[in-house]
Amino acid sequence: MASRRRMLLKVIILGDSGVGKTSLMNQYVNRKFSNQYKATIGADFLTKEVQFEDRLFTLQIWDTAGQERFQSLGVAFYRGADCCVLVYDVNVAKSFDNLNNWREEFLVQASPSDPENFPFVVLGNKVDVEGGNSRVVSEKKAKAWCASKGNIPYFETSAKEGINVEAAFQCIAQNALKTEPEEEIYFPDTIDVAGSGRHQRSSGCEC
Amino acid sequence: MLAEVGREDEEKWLAEGIAGLQQNAYYMGRALDTNNLRDALKYSAQMLSELRTSKLSPHKYYELYMRAFDELRKLEMYFKEETRRGVSITDLYELVQHAGNVLPRLYLLCTVGSVYITSKEAPAKDVLKDLVEMCRAIQNPVSGLFLRSYLSQISRDKLPDIGSEYEGDADSVIDAVDFVLQNFTEMNKLWVRMQYQGHVHEREKREKERNELRDLVGKNLHVLSQLESVDLVMYKETVLPRILEQVVNCKDDLAQYYLMDCIIQVFPDEYHLQTLETLLGACPQLQPTVDIKTVLGRLMDRLSNYAASSGEVLPEFLQVEAFSKLSTAIGKVIEAQVDMPIVGAITLYVSLLTFTLRVHPDRLDYVDQVLGACVKKLSGKAKLEDSKATKQIVALLSAPLEKYNDIVTALKLPNYPRVMDHLDNETNKIMAVVIIQSIMKNNTCISTADKVEALFELIKGLIRDTDGGAFDEVDEEDFKEEQNSVARLIHMLHNDDPAEMLQIISTVRKHILLGGSKRLPFTVPPLIFSALKLVRRLQIQAGDVGEDAPTTPKKIFLILNQTIEALSAVPSPELALRLYLQCAEAANDCDLEPVAYEFFTQAFILYEEEVADSKAQVTAIHLIIGTLQRMNVFGVENRDTLTHKATGYSAKLLKKPDQCRAVYACSHLFSVDDQDGIKDGERVLLCLKRALRIANAAQQMANVTRGGSGPVTLFIEILNKYLYFFENGNPQITSSVIQDLIELIMTETQSESTAADPSAIAFFNSTQRYIRFQKQKGGALGEKYEPIRV
Repeated sequence: MASRRRMLLKVIILGDSGVGKTSLMNQYVNRKFSNQYKATIGADFLTKEVQFEDRLFTLQIWDTAGQERFQSLGVAFYRGADCCVLVYDVNVAKSFDNLNNWREEFLVQASPSDPENFPFVVLGNKVDVEGGNSRVVSEKKAKAWCASKGNIPYFETSAKEGINVEAAFQCIAQNALKTEPEEEIYFPDTIDVAGSGRHQRSSGCEC
Repeated sequence: MLAEVGREDEEKWLAEGIAGLQQNAYYMGRALDTNNLRDALKYSAQMLSELRTSKLSPHKYYELYMRAFDELRKLEMYFKEETRRGVSITDLYELVQHAGNVLPRLYLLCTVGSVYITSKEAPAKDVLKDLVEMCRAIQNPVSGLFLRSYLSQISRDKLPDIGSEYEGDADSVIDAVDFVLQNFTEMNKLWVRMQYQGHVHEREKREKERNELRDLVGKNLHVLSQLESVDLVMYKETVLPRILEQVVNCKDDLAQYYLMDCIIQVFPDEYHLQTLETLLGACPQLQPTVDIKTVLGRLMDRLSNYAASSGEVLPEFLQVEAFSKLSTAIGKVIEAQVDMPIVGAITLYVSLLTFTLRVHPDRLDYVDQVLGACVKKLSGKAKLEDSKATKQIVALLSAPLEKYNDIVTALKLPNYPRVMDHLDNETNKIMAVVIIQSIMKNNTCISTADKVEALFELIKGLIRDTDGGAFDEVDEEDFKEEQNSVARLIHMLHNDDPAEMLQIISTVRKHILLGGSKRLPFTVPPLIFSALKLVRRLQIQAGDVGEDAPTTPKKIFLILNQTIEALSAVPSPELALRLYLQCAEAANDCDLEPVAYEFFTQAFILYEEEVADSKAQVTAIHLIIGTLQRMNVFGVENRDTLTHKATGYSAKLLKKPDQCRAVYACSHLFSVDDQDGIKDGERVLLCLKRALRIANAAQQMANVTRGGSGPVTLFIEILNKYLYFFENGNPQITSSVIQDLIELIMTETQSESTAADPSAIAFFNSTQRYIRFQKQKGGALGEKYEPIRV
C-alpha cells in the first residue's frame, strides 16, 4: 500500500499573480510557452512521469490562482502536499516580499506534521526579461532569504527560455520524495469480519 | 448563536463524512492490495456515497471532495495497472456502471474514463462526450458542480487539443472546445439555478455559498484559455460568443459579474482588443445590478498595462479604435443602467481617462472628450453632495495633471473648468489646491495673461466667495493655508516680455480684488512685489524705453497705488503702509519724484488716520524714518515737508521713551552718507538735543511715578548717537558736548535715588571702553577723541 502511495508526488506552486506559475508548469510538462498573460482560476494540476533511481513516479503539479478573488473555495487541495514551490518575479520586488506570506499561509493551511522541515523550493522566475536589466531582486538577496528559512533550495529560472526549469523540477521531485508520507494511518474502529461497511449502503433514493 | 450551532453541526457532519470515507478507503485499499476488483469497486462506491451529503457548505464539501479525489487516484492507478495486465478497459467501463447510486457511479465512470482515453481504445472525444452527457443525471447543484469539476480535472490533460497526443481527426479540435463549453454551460446552469432552491429567508446564506462555488464554473474558462486550439479565430467565432450567450441569458447578476471578470482575466489582451465590440456589446445587456464599472475598469486596466508593456502594440489599439469603442460602450452602459448612481458613472469615466492617458498620451482631444461626457452626465443636476462622487471627480481632474505634470496642458481643455463647476464649494477648493500644488511641484511657469485668466477661473473657489459659501464655517487654519498657496502661486506667473507681464499683473489684480477683506491681506503683497520686480526689470532696460512705451514704471506705479488702496477698505493699514513705503523706495530708484512723494503722502495719511495702536505707531514711524533716510530723489522742498512731518509725528508718540528714540532716529534724516547727500549738522544736533530733553522729561516722570529708576539707558543711547556723528565729522558735535553728556550719565548712574540697572551700566561701560579704545588707537580719530575723559 505504501509503495503505491509513494508513486504519486504532490507539488503545490504558489506565488503572486503574474510571476509565471502556470508558465513554469506548462514549460515543464508540455515544453510550451506563451507570452500572453492569462489568469488562473482556482487550482488544478498537470501530471508528469519522472524517473528517479530506477523508479517511476507521477508528479502531480498543482498550479494555483495568484489572485485571491479566484480562490473562492479555499485551499483544501494543499492537503497531502509533498513539496511546495514558491515563485516570484525577479523584476518585481513585491512578489519577492510576499514569499514569506505565501510560505506562512501554506504552513498554516496545510499544517504539515513537521513544518520546520517541510520541503520548499524557491524559484526566481523571468530572469530573461530585458537581458536581466530590469531585475530588482538580486540573487544574493534571494539566497539569503532562502538560507534564513532553513536552506531552501533556490533556482533562477526562465519559463520563456526554459532556463533551469528541468533542473528546478528535478530538485522539487527529489525533495518531495524525501518527505515522509503525511497520510494519517487509518485503522477501522471495529473489524467487521463479515464484509464491513455493508450497513452503510444507502437503502433510500438511488441518486 | 444560531450560526455558531450551525458551524458546530457542520464540523460534526464533516467529521462523520471523513470517518465514513476513510473507513471505506481503507477497505478499498486492502482490496486493491489483494487485487480484488469487485471489493475495490464496492468500497470505492461506498466511499463516494459520502459525497451525496447536502449538509455541508461548499468549503467543507470541498474538503471531503479532496479526500475522495486523492483516494480515486489510487483507484485510477490500479485501473491503469489492470489494463496493462490485459484487462479490457471497455469491460471496466461497463463494470463500474453497476454501482447502485448514480453519484458514485459517475465518479467511478469518470475515473475509468480517464484511463479509457489514455488507452486510446476509443477516441477521446467519444469518451468525453459520453461522460459530459451522463453527468446530466446529477441535478443537485453542489454535488453536480463538484462532479463536473472532477470531470474537468481528469480530462484536463486528455483533451483532443492541437498538438496533444489525443488529437483526433480534423474536427476533433472543435470537440475539445465543445466539450469544455458544454461542461461550462451545464455548470453555469446548475450554479444559477441554485439560488431558487430552499427557503426564501436563507437567500443570503445561499448567495454566500454560490459565491464560494464560483471558481468551479470559472475554471472552465481557464481551461479554454489554455487550449492550444483556441486561437483568435476560434475565440472570436465560437468561444466568446458562446460564453457571452450563456452569461447574458442566465440573467443572474452574481454569475454575470463574475464571469465577465473571468473572461477579461483569463484570455489574452490581443484577443480582447480584437473582440472589443463583442465583449463590450454584452455590457449593456447585463442586469442593472451588475457592478459593471469594476468590470470595465479592470478591462481598461488590463489593456492599458498591455499598451504600456511594449510600444509595438500601440498600432493594434489604433487599428481597432479601442478608445472610441470603450467610450461608446461606457456611454451605452450609463444609458442602459438608469439607476446607476452618479459615482458609478464618474468612476467609469476615471477608468476611461486613465486608459487614454496611458495609451494615447498625445491625444488631448480624447481627454477633453471624456471630461465632456462627464459634464454631460453632471449637467442639469445640482452640485454634487455625494462625497464618493466628488472624490472620483477630484481623481478625474487630477489624472491629467499627474500625467502631464503641467497645468498648462489642462488649461487647454475646454471641459476642464466645466467639470470643476459641478463640484461643491469645499471640493472645488480642494481641487484648486491640488492644481496649485501641481504647479509648485513642477515649477510650472504660467506665462500669458490668457492662461492666467483661465487658471484663475479654475481656482476661483479660492479667489473669491462662492454663492452660498458660508464664510464663518471655514476653518481659520485651512483658510490661511489656502490663501498662502494662492500667494505662492502669484509668484509663478511670469513672462519676460514686460507688456505681457503687465497684462498678467492686471489680470491677477482683477481677480484678487474680488477676494474680499479676508483674502486681500494675503493676495495683495505678492502682487505688489511681483509688479515691483517688473519695475526693476524695466529700470535695468531703461534708456531705450520712451515715455509712451506701453509699459512704463509710471503706469505700473499707478496700478500699484490703486491696488494698495484696496487694503484700506479691509482695513489693514499697517500692511498698506509698508507696501506704500516699498513702492516709494522703488519709485525713488526709478527717479520718479512725484510718484515717490505720492506714496509717502499715502503712507502719512494712513499713519494719521488709520494707525491707532501706539505700538503699531512706533513700528510705523521707524519704517517711515528708515525709508525716508534712504530716499535721494526728493528736492529740498519735498524733503523738508516729509522730514518735518516725520520728526513731528516722532515727538508725538504716546510714551516718552518712544518719542525719544524716534526723535534721535530722525537725526539721520539730516545726514545722508551718499555722495551728494544732505549734511545738515545743525539740524542733526537739534534732533539730538530734543531727544535729550525728552529723555530728561521721561526721567522726571519716572521719578514722580516710580520714585527713582529713570531711563538712564536713553541717555546712553543718545550718547552713542553723538559718538556716531562725532566720528562722522559733524562740526556741531564737539568733544565738550560729549564730555557733558558723559558726566551727566555718570551722575545719574551713581545717584542714590537711581536703582542700578545692570544692563544700563553694562551698556555704559562698554561705551566707555569704546571711547578708550579709540583714544589708544591713535590716528586722526584718536586725536579727535583725545580731549574726552572717561
